[in-house]
Order: sequence, then C-alpha cells, then structure tokens
Amino acid sequence: MLNLIGRRALQGLLTLLLVSFLVFAGTELLPGDVAQAVLGQHATPESLQELRVQLGLDRPAALRYVSWLAGVIHLDFGVSLASQVPVRTLVMDRLGHTLILAGLSAAVAVPIAFVIGLGAATRPAGVFDRISSIAALCVSALPEFFLGTLLVLIFAVNLRWLPAIAYVTEFRSFGQMVTSLAMPVATLAAVIISQMARMIRATVVNVLSLPYVEMAVLKGVSYRRIILVHALRNAVGPIANVVALNLAYLVSGIVVVETVFVYPGLARLLVDAVSSRDFPVIQACVLIFCAVYIALMLLADIAAIIGNPRLRHQE
Amino acid sequence: MLDRRQFTKSLIATGTALAAGASSLNLATAQPKRGGRLRVAGHVQSAQDTLDPAKFAQSTDYARGHMLYNALTRIDGNGQAQPELAEAFEANQDVTEWVFKLRKGVTFHDGKALDANDVIYSIMRHKDPKVASASKGLVDDLVEVAADGTDGVRVKLKSPNADIPVLLGTFGFMIVKKGTTDFSTAIGTGPFRLKEFTPGVRTVATRNDNYFKPGKPYLDEIEYFGIADPVARLNALIAGDIDMMSDLRPNAIEEAKRASNVEVFSTPCPRFVQFAMMCDREPTNNLDFRLAVKNMLDRERIVQQVLNGYGVVANDHFVMPKSPVYNSSLPQRGVDLDKAKFHLKKAGMDNTSIELHVTDAVQNSIEMGLLLQRQAALAGLTINLKREPSDGYWSNIWIKRPFHAVVWNPRPTESLMATLVWKSDAKWNDTQFKDPHLDKLIDAARGTIDPGKRKQTFWDIQSIIYEQGGNAIPAFVNYIDAHSSKVKGLTPVPTGNLGGFNFADSVWLES
Repeated sequence: MLNLIGRRALQGLLTLLLVSFLVFAGTELLPGDVAQAVLGQHATPESLQELRVQLGLDRPAALRYVSWLAGVIHLDFGVSLASQVPVRTLVMDRLGHTLILAGLSAAVAVPIAFVIGLGAATRPAGVFDRISSIAALCVSALPEFFLGTLLVLIFAVNLRWLPAIAYVTEFRSFGQMVTSLAMPVATLAAVIISQMARMIRATVVNVLSLPYVEMAVLKGVSYRRIILVHALRNAVGPIANVVALNLAYLVSGIVVVETVFVYPGLARLLVDAVSSRDFPVIQACVLIFCAVYIALMLLADIAAIIGNPRLRHQE
Repeated sequence: MLDRRQFTKSLIATGTALAAGASSLNLATAQPKRGGRLRVAGHVQSAQDTLDPAKFAQSTDYARGHMLYNALTRIDGNGQAQPELAEAFEANQDVTEWVFKLRKGVTFHDGKALDANDVIYSIMRHKDPKVASASKGLVDDLVEVAADGTDGVRVKLKSPNADIPVLLGTFGFMIVKKGTTDFSTAIGTGPFRLKEFTPGVRTVATRNDNYFKPGKPYLDEIEYFGIADPVARLNALIAGDIDMMSDLRPNAIEEAKRASNVEVFSTPCPRFVQFAMMCDREPTNNLDFRLAVKNMLDRERIVQQVLNGYGVVANDHFVMPKSPVYNSSLPQRGVDLDKAKFHLKKAGMDNTSIELHVTDAVQNSIEMGLLLQRQAALAGLTINLKREPSDGYWSNIWIKRPFHAVVWNPRPTESLMATLVWKSDAKWNDTQFKDPHLDKLIDAARGTIDPGKRKQTFWDIQSIIYEQGGNAIPAFVNYIDAHSSKVKGLTPVPTGNLGGFNFADSVWLES
C-alpha cells in the first residue's frame, strides 16, 4: 500500500511538471500580454515596453519558465503580474472560499446520493427507481447557470428569503454562512447528486445480479444486509471513482456557479487571470486543480483496494 | 502672467455657474441625508484592480479612484471642467500655458496639506517612462508643470490646447502625495479613506471626516465590487443585496422597470456606433456610394427599436445635438431612398452587392445592420451581413475591411475625439479619410478658447465629415445603469456610467 502511494505521488509530481509546462506554452500562444491588459487603450508603445521590462517580460520565454520553476521548488509562487500582490495571498484567500463551498456541497450531496442510489437499486424499475431516475436525468440535463438563476429568481427576487449573491469576504456567523451559501450549495449538490446517484444505482444493480448475491438471498440474508454489506463492498471501486471525480469538479469546475452567485472562488480567479495573461496566477491555480485531481484519484484507488482485498495482491 | 484680478474674474464666473447648478439640483431632489452604507456593483470584475492613478484603465479603477482621490477639476454634466482641487484656472492669450490656483485647506488622508508639489508630482509622473503610465499619450503635449506662487501650478504646453482643464479632470490625473511610489494603499484627498482593497474582489472605503467640501460626503461607507454577469447583477439589485449597478443591458430594461424598488438611470452621451466606409479602398472610396448609405439609415427607428429609446439620433458626425458646438445648420439626414438611388446610380453601383462586417463586440451593430440591409434593398443595393466573432474583431476587421461596424466610447472633449479619429495621421482613423484642411481645423479647435471662434471651427469640422467623410453614424448610445430607489443625488455625466463613476461624494441613501 505504501509502495503504491509513493509511486503514485511520484507520478503525480511528474504530471504536475508536465501540466505546468503545457500551461506555460498555452499562455505564450495567447495573443497579447499582461502589459497590454494592464495599460489598456491609451497605452503608448514606450509605456508598454517599460512595463514589460519591469515585469521581466522582455526575457526569453524559456528563461522565464525556468526561473518560475526554480521559485516554485522553493515554494515561492511569485507575484501577480497584473496586481503586484503575492500569488500566495491571492490564491490562499480564494482557495479557502472554494474549499468551504466544495466541502459543504460534498457534505450535503454525497449522503443524499447514496440514499437515492441505493434506494433505487433495491427495487430496480420500481416506483422510486423510476421517479429518481427521471429526476436525476432532468437535473443533469439542466445547465448550472440556468438552475442557479432559477433559484435566485424564486428565493431571492420573488420570495426575498435568501441573498441573491453569495459574495463574502469573511463569514461573520454560521447563520450568515448558511443563508449566503444555501443556493450555490443547492445548485452544485443537485448537479453532482444526479450523477453520483445514477452511478451508484447502476453499479449496485450490476453487483446484485451476480451469483453470490443470489446465494445470499437463498441463504436467507436480509435484503438490507445484502445491499449494505455484500453488494456495496464490491461496488466500492467504481463508486469511489465517480465520487472523487465529482469532488474534483467541485473544486475546479464551478466557475459558472461562482459567476452566477458572485462567489470569489479559485475557478473565477483562474478565468480572470487568463484574461489578463497573468501567468504566475494561472500556473498556481492550475497546479492546485491538478494536485486536487491527483490526490482524489489516489484516494479513490485506495478506497477501492480497501473494499476489495483481491486488488492488494495484484502484480 | 496672470494677475490676481484675472483670477478673481474666473472665480466669479465659476462660482455663478456652480450656484446655478446647485439651485436646479435642489429643486429636483430632497435634502441630502447623512449616514448609511452603499453597496455598488460594477460590470467589470478584474484582477488588474489598482490604486495607482497612472494604471487606471477600467471602470472599477475609475469608481475607486473617485472615492479616494480628487483631481484638479471635475467634469460636469455638460462635459465641462469645474473647480475641484483647483478653485480657479485660466489660460494665457495663446492657450499655451494654463495656471491652476489650488484650493486652500485641503488635506490628505494622513493629515498632510495639499500643495503645488503634490500636483506637479502627480501630473509629471505620467511622463516618466519608469511609471509606464496608461495616460502617457495624454501628457505628450505637456512641456512642464511648475509652481506658480505659493498656491498655484503652471502647466506649459508644446502647442495651444484649450482642453487642459478637462484632461486634468480625467481618471488618470487624480492627485497623489509627492513622492508616492508604493500604491499598496491610497493616501488621497478624496471623500473616503481606504479600509479594505482586494484586487478582483472588492474595495471598502469609510467616510473622510476632513473632506474639504462642507457636509460631504453623505455616506458612512461604500463597498464596491464587480459582478460580471449581467443577469446576476440585476438580480442582486432587485433582491436588495446591492444599491447601485453599472451597465444595465437594453434587453433587461423592462424587467428592471417592473421591479418596484429599482430605478433605471440613463446617461445620454457621445458614445456612437458607426458603419465605417474606408476612403482608401474599393468600393467605399466612392463618395457617391458613401452618400447613398448615409441616406439609407432609418435613424429614428434605430433609436426607438434597437436602443429602446435610450439613445439620440446622430447626423453622421460625432457632435451631439445638445453640445454648444453642434452644427445646427446641417439638415438632419433620414431615409431618403430617392437620394440614395440617385447616388448609387452615380456611383455606378445600383443593383450590386457589398459585405458589411458586424459583431457582438460592437453593441447593437447586428440589429442596426439588419435595418440598414432592409432599406438598402429598397434602394437597389444588396448588403451581405457578415457576423464576425468578438474575439479578434479589433485586430482582424477594424480598419481592414472596407465596410464595417465600429463603436467609439466618449472622450473627455470633442477635440480629443476629433484628434483621435479624424486626423490624417491618427492611428485610429478608421475610415482613412484624409484632408489637410480638416487637420488644420482640428488643430485650431484644440487651441481655441474663444467660444465663438471655437464654435465656427467645429461647425466646419462637422460639415466636412458630414459631406465627405466615411462615417455613417446613425445614433448616440446612452449609458444605462440602475439603482435602488433609496439612492439619491446621482446626476448624469457623459464620460461614463453612474455619473462618470464620480458619485462617491454626492449620493446619499434615503431611509
């Protein structure tokens, strides 16, 4: 097990290096640079040139990449080119917001997804299965911005129960946090519940059709025990994977929800940084997203191994 | 040299103008109230937010700047310069030198008194290449800024320029303390002190009790942040989470009006959309073709239908009808299909077709293009609308294709606009219409301070562009914002949204 974790961590680092290089190359290919973005329309060529020299943009691209990489190795992520604020300050602030939103959404969504998925699997093609399947399909077909805006129109604009924007810098009380985040959490949870519940149902139904479950039924094991102990344990691998993918999405892919609810999260920072060609900020965001993906995938694999002893003795 | 008498004269003149403005304001609005916290959402959300006036390039910077700093002058609702940190200003005979008399008793947020050195530093730093100022193009004309007596500054120019007071009232020229190089905080003279600033997130500023305008500002605190999504912005306003927002989209005006707690705030301004017909290439270099197109535009309909009435009919030049230099002798063009057919025939282009490039990057140009297409068909010209992507429009289509849509945001003065777009050597001369006589007139207008002569020069400029230019300009497009009905004291200024983003010291909240 330790061997596996070590190997995967090493692979992860290599992936991060590759990704950082690809992102750098991509940023270089974009037309325009941070000097143009900062100085705007009235910029004169002299001002642009001076700013480029000040920001070190006049150096060759390869040199800039290497010096950035040298900084990162010493855990120095540099200074934002556009706002001159240390990248660490910018990113840590946003990362905190993102983790709160992702954490709450996951805490709400994962248990509900299990209840719905397992409930549907106990009686395939039953009433609950049909209703939940149709509902899950409908919700996953709705784009998040539509779902989010719909919630805002109902609960903020018409009923006035909740604030329309979840925009916060610090939460003053738990109650305020709950009211501010209720709608973004509901939107995100709805999207990932539908995906996770369908996957859990499919996997468990599949396992339930195996001979050993039939054996357990004949033996007289209770249905609840069959599902929770016998079936779920064997379904844990694929389920852990889909849960991990959805959690990774909560961290990196929610720019639309952040935009609709004006939530200052990390995904929004990345989009802003790309539009101002702010390379150190882009890199920091992408590396965090990438690291989260790698870590979650590793956790999913470990969960699968724990659930299925046969995997421990492979190779 | 100016003597004290001349100064007093200009003081009296501005004083009367102010009093007149103030009384009309009192009639329109109630007594201002002290206190309260204003939450404002701008339409730009940007990680490039800065506290350095030399780097101000976006609306979030403009709004933040007006909370924390002042400029020498303030641009009023007619686009004219009014005294702010300078209590009077006057030019010499040939308008190559301007003297600004500084207001006494103004202090920075840290208690230091404002003096000429701060003003000199704040203006001259734009010329320093190391500062890499976004406003550098505007100071190329300045030779020197020097102290004039104990409480004045003298601005020396390369060539005559009557617009200096207005230029020094624009966003980049806000006054900072002499020697400031660290802009991680903002020590200005403005109505609010900086409390919190997070680039790309928000600015919070609290009342400056030592502000030099008695009784102002009215608010205790302002919070300014960006909501880039137009739907989210309006929803937040209707739900009462914000009090004011910039840039209400035309298609959402009806929804905003339906909400009982929201008021639409519209600012007529010289922002215009034009169909540029380039005069240096086929087929738009034919004057008769250009005149034909100018007679096909249904301007009234464009203002009513495309702009929902939030615009002003234009007459193929850049001066708005309410401007003091508007040429009222030029007949207003409308749809005249007989004239259009006549000119098309003369150009030998009846029953031909041409491509017109439109884009989302030029707001409303697609709808305007469709209306033009319909009228053109009636006159015997087939217009093929080519809808171009926003990304790359300004580098691939603008000043490249013979017939394309362009939007021009207002510039602080009419002569700056003319210089930027109609001088033969201007980088942004997007019709490539070049006329030495027009160049001379534009230079003369910039250097003329006498209202009568200035008007005559601008009349000639307008008639040349109207008769020969490559611009089919159907309409001026208003800025449209919205605010809660609790917000009072906001007055339109044509240089930008929300009172030219200069609302901090004049708005108040009605409980």
